[in-house]
Amino acid sequence: MAVSVLSMARHIAEELKDGLSGSGVRAAARGVRRLLAVEYVGLADLSGRPVWAPAAPAFSSDANALVEQVLHSESREGWSPLVAVPLHVHHELAGVLVVAGATHRAAVREASAWIVAALERGRLEASAEQAAQAELRALRAEISPHFVYNALTVIAALVSSEPDRSRELMLDFADYIRYSLARHGEYTTVADEFHAIETYLALQRAVLGERLQVQVRVAPEVLAVALPYLVLQPLVENAVRHGIEPRTRAGHVLVRGEAEGNDCVISVEDDGLGMDPALAEAILAGRGGTDSVGLANVDRRLRNVYGPWYGLVVETAAGEGTRVVVRIPRFQPGVMPG
Amino acid sequence: MTGLSVLAVDDVPPALADLCRLLAASPEIAEVAGAGDPLAALRMIQSGRYDAVFLDIAMPGLDGLELASLLARLTEPPVIVFVTAYEQHAVAAFGIGAVDYLLKPVRAERLADALARVNRMIPTARPAPESPALPDAMAALPVESGGRTRYIRRNEVHFVEAHGDYVRLHAVSGVHEVRMPISRLDEYWAPAGFVRVHRGFLVALDAVRELRSDSVGGLLAHTDLGDVPVSRRHARELRERLLSAAKAGQLDRR
Repeated sequence: MAVSVLSMARHIAEELKDGLSGSGVRAAARGVRRLLAVEYVGLADLSGRPVWAPAAPAFSSDANALVEQVLHSESREGWSPLVAVPLHVHHELAGVLVVAGATHRAAVREASAWIVAALERGRLEASAEQAAQAELRALRAEISPHFVYNALTVIAALVSSEPDRSRELMLDFADYIRYSLARHGEYTTVADEFHAIETYLALQRAVLGERLQVQVRVAPEVLAVALPYLVLQPLVENAVRHGIEPRTRAGHVLVRGEAEGNDCVISVEDDGLGMDPALAEAILAGRGGTDSVGLANVDRRLRNVYGPWYGLVVETAAGEGTRVVVRIPRFQPGVMPG
Repeated sequence: MTGLSVLAVDDVPPALADLCRLLAASPEIAEVAGAGDPLAALRMIQSGRYDAVFLDIAMPGLDGLELASLLARLTEPPVIVFVTAYEQHAVAAFGIGAVDYLLKPVRAERLADALARVNRMIPTARPAPESPALPDAMAALPVESGGRTRYIRRNEVHFVEAHGDYVRLHAVSGVHEVRMPISRLDEYWAPAGFVRVHRGFLVALDAVRELRSDSVGGLLAHTDLGDVPVSRRHARELRERLLSAAKAGQLDRR
């Protein structure tokens, strides 16, 4: 008995996750009717037209008038066997529950409280999802201002002394901006992502000169693998910023993409300062301060798309350099370059 | 071969000047004219004769896509190449029948590709390449060693290196020399998955284990038998060929 009540309650909550105007309202009303063991249950949103289970009772015009009353008074109206109670979600009127049939006042109160809790949870989930999407959009638009100004400064400096080189760099800069601002589709290919990195590194190389030694290696069989936009750039930026920039002598960055069985493994490695593994862990958990938001975000996006096993792996120790590894499935249903 | 006569159309004067300069520097081109607005372009096309028109899309009055659809109604329409800052027009551009679509600012290497396409569209520009009489006569090449002739199979060769009048075939069984210009071998072996990656090198797509680029922008195709240099102007084609081979699942290991 308890199990069937609980599972019914769970179903009602599930059906109500899109709110009182959602597609699950009739199923939810059916569930509430069975739970209360009454003849009819109606659920109305703010339009005042209840969705009934079972459909269209004979007294619906009386009930509609009752619903209108509740929408105005925002309190319980009617007497058994036909009562209507307001549903307040986050202290705001969201709709009306109508019950027709013999039942206890307390049972109707509990049912309406349960419906309100389900509606509130649905709203929280929806806004959490919106927040996550907004975060993805924000991350995609992220272009490091530090890098942009450095690159422009170098190009400006070369215009008169090395016009051909400055033109070449300007073309690279245009490619970098074009890719970073790309708005088409959610996914790209390893080929494009690597090309974007090479462009970025060519510019960084102009900024940092001999201090930056780079190698980029990619195996042809992973070129067509789909992955989210701008996953690699923050990792390479991180390697340059923390591995090369703070030091006076030359540093190496190695970016590598290869196939390992059904996975594509991409690693970004620098021989720079490295860090305490505990700090790396804190950064991945999003507790690393504003300077390292990029890594935590990439980690979250990868897990979002591919599941909990596919986050970033950071191998590091103080003074030992840093190696960040991205592992993604070579074939993932639903992940297509757009 | 007579050079092409082309018209560039852009309403931004420095952009037009830059495009004209790049076009004038291309060996395929004999004559370059520039038009600063679409109406001037229309007038010039009516009075002159152009093999190809390089067209900006965002222009006041009549935009590039509209101008192109007008040109398409001419009895002998010029070949159209769009030059624009925005990628989102690409689909519409190819719908109109453009042969290529260049993004601004334009790279010289990319313009060279576009001109190659334009050339292919113009039948009189060069004689049709003679079709190889025996398509697979070159599946194996005879090499002389110690007075004896043996045959090296094409699918055993990872890459080819030009060496004077000879080519060196880098194969699992060793390095073999054959007297033949590399351009001819390129012609014969291109349909079998060999790509020209450098003035002096051909590489078999499925022999490429890794693409390696270094600090100074040099690119190498790494094979089990050694690294093959890839020149800047061939880099794009190699990447694209590898990508489409990967998409088609054609990179099964030899």
